[in-house]
Amino acid sequence: MFKLVTFRRFTAVLGGVVAAVLVAVVVFFVIYAWPAIRLNGWHFFTSNTWNLGNLYANPIERNGRMILPGAHYGILFLIAGTLLSTLIAVVLAVPIGAMAAVFLAECVPSQLRTAVSFFVELLAAIPSVVFGLWGYVVVIPFLGHHVYPWMTAHLGFLPFLSGAPGSGYGLLTAGLVLALMIVPLITATVRDALVSQYRGLRDAALALGATRFETLWTVQLPATRRVLVGSGILATGRALGETMAVLMISGNALNYLPRNIYSPISTMASFIVSQLDSALQDPTGLAVRSLGEVALALLLIAVVVNGAARLLLYYQDRTTGTTS
Amino acid sequence: MAAASASTFVPPRQRRRLRRRLTDGLGWTVSTVAFLLLGAATISIFWAIAARGAHALHLAIFTQVTQGTAGGLLNAIEGTLLLAVGGLLLAIPPGMAAGIFLAEFGASRFAPVLRFMSDVLVGLPSIVVGYFVYIVAVVDLGWGFSALAGAIALAIISLPYITRTSEMAFRQVPADMRDAARALGATDGHVILRICLPIAASSVLTGVLLALAISVGETAPLLYTAGWSNYTWNGHLTHEPVGYLTYAIWAFITEPFQSAHALAYAAALLVSAFVLVISIASRMLMAASRRHSR
Amino acid sequence: MPDLDFRAAVTRARPAAQPAAEPAEAVATREVNFYYGSRQVLFDITLTAPEREILALIGPSGCGKSTFLRTLNRMNDTIPNTRLTGVVRVEGEDIYAPGADPIALRRRVGLIFQRSNPFPFSIRDNVAYGLKVNGLAKRKADRDAAVERSLQLAGLWDEVKDRLDTPAHALSGGQQQRLCIARALAIEPRILLMDEPASALDPIATSRIEELALELKTRYTIIIVTHNLQQAARISDRTAFFLSGRLVETAPTQQLFTNPGRKETEDYLTGRFG
Repeated sequence: MFKLVTFRRFTAVLGGVVAAVLVAVVVFFVIYAWPAIRLNGWHFFTSNTWNLGNLYANPIERNGRMILPGAHYGILFLIAGTLLSTLIAVVLAVPIGAMAAVFLAECVPSQLRTAVSFFVELLAAIPSVVFGLWGYVVVIPFLGHHVYPWMTAHLGFLPFLSGAPGSGYGLLTAGLVLALMIVPLITATVRDALVSQYRGLRDAALALGATRFETLWTVQLPATRRVLVGSGILATGRALGETMAVLMISGNALNYLPRNIYSPISTMASFIVSQLDSALQDPTGLAVRSLGEVALALLLIAVVVNGAARLLLYYQDRTTGTTS
Repeated sequence: MAAASASTFVPPRQRRRLRRRLTDGLGWTVSTVAFLLLGAATISIFWAIAARGAHALHLAIFTQVTQGTAGGLLNAIEGTLLLAVGGLLLAIPPGMAAGIFLAEFGASRFAPVLRFMSDVLVGLPSIVVGYFVYIVAVVDLGWGFSALAGAIALAIISLPYITRTSEMAFRQVPADMRDAARALGATDGHVILRICLPIAASSVLTGVLLALAISVGETAPLLYTAGWSNYTWNGHLTHEPVGYLTYAIWAFITEPFQSAHALAYAAALLVSAFVLVISIASRMLMAASRRHSR
Repeated sequence: MPDLDFRAAVTRARPAAQPAAEPAEAVATREVNFYYGSRQVLFDITLTAPEREILALIGPSGCGKSTFLRTLNRMNDTIPNTRLTGVVRVEGEDIYAPGADPIALRRRVGLIFQRSNPFPFSIRDNVAYGLKVNGLAKRKADRDAAVERSLQLAGLWDEVKDRLDTPAHALSGGQQQRLCIARALAIEPRILLMDEPASALDPIATSRIEELALELKTRYTIIIVTHNLQQAARISDRTAFFLSGRLVETAPTQQLFTNPGRKETEDYLTGRFG
């Protein structure tokens, strides 16, 4: 009996490291970014200027903190870039991912399904930086030289599609590549949900005179709604935190709000990479702590988004819709 | 015939039937096109990397270290393996322990909390992890850019994957095996390590391979923890930066030199090929263990 | 002797040759063979179901009775690698003829499943599903009327009329099965196929389904698969006994149960196997 308790406690304590890491990261960033949170206030999210101030001047005092003259930390443009690129990615990835899942679940015979699905799931295995490289050498020249000029010329009457097409770096490119990065998550989850669905649902609709696609569209897909939403939220979380690919293809705009879908942008995650070096130059340390505040904001978004998605998916596992 | 019973609301049958058929065909076409689009993107990515990387790949890549933006990638290959294996060594004990706890003691009140936290950890942006380790280990602990700091960052990222696959692996073990061993008086520790672990091992290995693939492909968490080095590793865990392949991809592709581009493509090919091989291997392993358990 | 029987069935399968006085045949099959891949599961099934009667299909599990039932509304079409030979006529129409539309067929031939399978929608939307998907009763008033009528036919109206918009999954097992019957009735089929509709239900819910079948018989032709011999005896007019994918014999229920024509039937009924 004594031994039983120790082994259990042993795995609980050692395994507890997993939970402790998450808590530690969150707590760390709250404490680390606290001086910046105090200094920046709500302006951090509503103003559009990220300025380290004069690095060669003597620090001055503001709100009881020493800061560089002219320093101001506002990340509205990062929030815009992050949310808009994620929005484009999710709007593209959810329908395409779900329809590809339909193809895999309904049109591919079960013996071939694993092999054919691998084509899509391989996208999930490709490292972010390789997506970035592909975007940089293949997608950007193609879109920048051929597609975007055509779009401004012929679709310019639509809002956000007019204006300078740019060189290919920017919001739409980032959104497209992000969509490819998150789509396998949606496809795999929805495909599994469709395959494991209770067949009686499908048969009932067919027996009532529905065609195969009507059955799918009106019964089978709605029955996976929770899974679809859950995986969509998970995918949103991934797109929000994606770093390297966005860094390489977004144009890394600074203090610039996108005017159209070709505009260069920055996202919170990619901004941390591109600005950490220069933020470290600030002798008062507030620049790097403000960057820590960016990380904290990103972190909290990720925790909320992923938490919500998981709770939704746990609930799905316990209720109807899937049988194993 | 049927019209007699449903006489009040019979639409023009033929037109309606045709429309339903067209909708059906359109629906399946859309789903096929969606799949083909994704398949085409996959092929385009691998083709872009393979074609360019094959040109850049020669023996010197494997035998020489990087000199500026030329030379080989020996230092980066070595560093990538060092960091990935180091990260795994750090992540496997707690990750597996958490997985075992969730599978074997799932009734505990701590279990849902742990599972939830682990699942949320998966969604943590990797750059946030890198930033965390940078401030704590590189700056505050004074380790500098180092193999240990990089490995810790990768370990944090790998943890939830290992936890999840371990939990599933131990859940797959049939309950009657456990009961049989317990009936013979075996303790929990004995049951889990001697009876369950051998059965679950191949599934656990799948998770470890997955974590390895992720570690090899990561960049963001390493930029500010492992740094970059042109030299092979000198055996120091701290105070010694290490190079790694993904850095070469990111840093060298934007350099204006042919030699730098070649290194970036070669690195991309190596990383992609490695990830591809691991993905296929882990899938085959998974299929084999599934057949085995049936 | 069996040869004669066979020929009689063939002639009866032709609606054109059918004297008006005799009871019409809702379903008639001729030499139906069915294969899963290379495995044959039905052998030369020739069987007729008269209009507005209940035909029970009995036999040990795995004898092919459910598979046979599903050939009658072409539900087996949805399983890959299956093949059917022979002729199945529903109200005189060859349903496997080239160009025959399985969708239109299934609207005429409803199917009730062994395990109740309401959609994850509200009660109302479950019943209205067949109407919507087939473009029937487009006006809301018509649809509501059809929902009410179907639920009343299925004997469920009084139990659910105040909560039509609650999820169907909140109903009890027996209620769910009657909801599935209402759902099938809403599109006004002519024939109802029931695949062990009460096998998952308790005795009280079972007897409600049986009563319902007897009531529905006045309007619909019912073919019911059951493993419950008492059930077949209680409700059916004719009974067909299947064994190992073959139709052993079919006769008026009374006669088959009291005086079976074949030794296998007698063995099965007296519990010597199966």
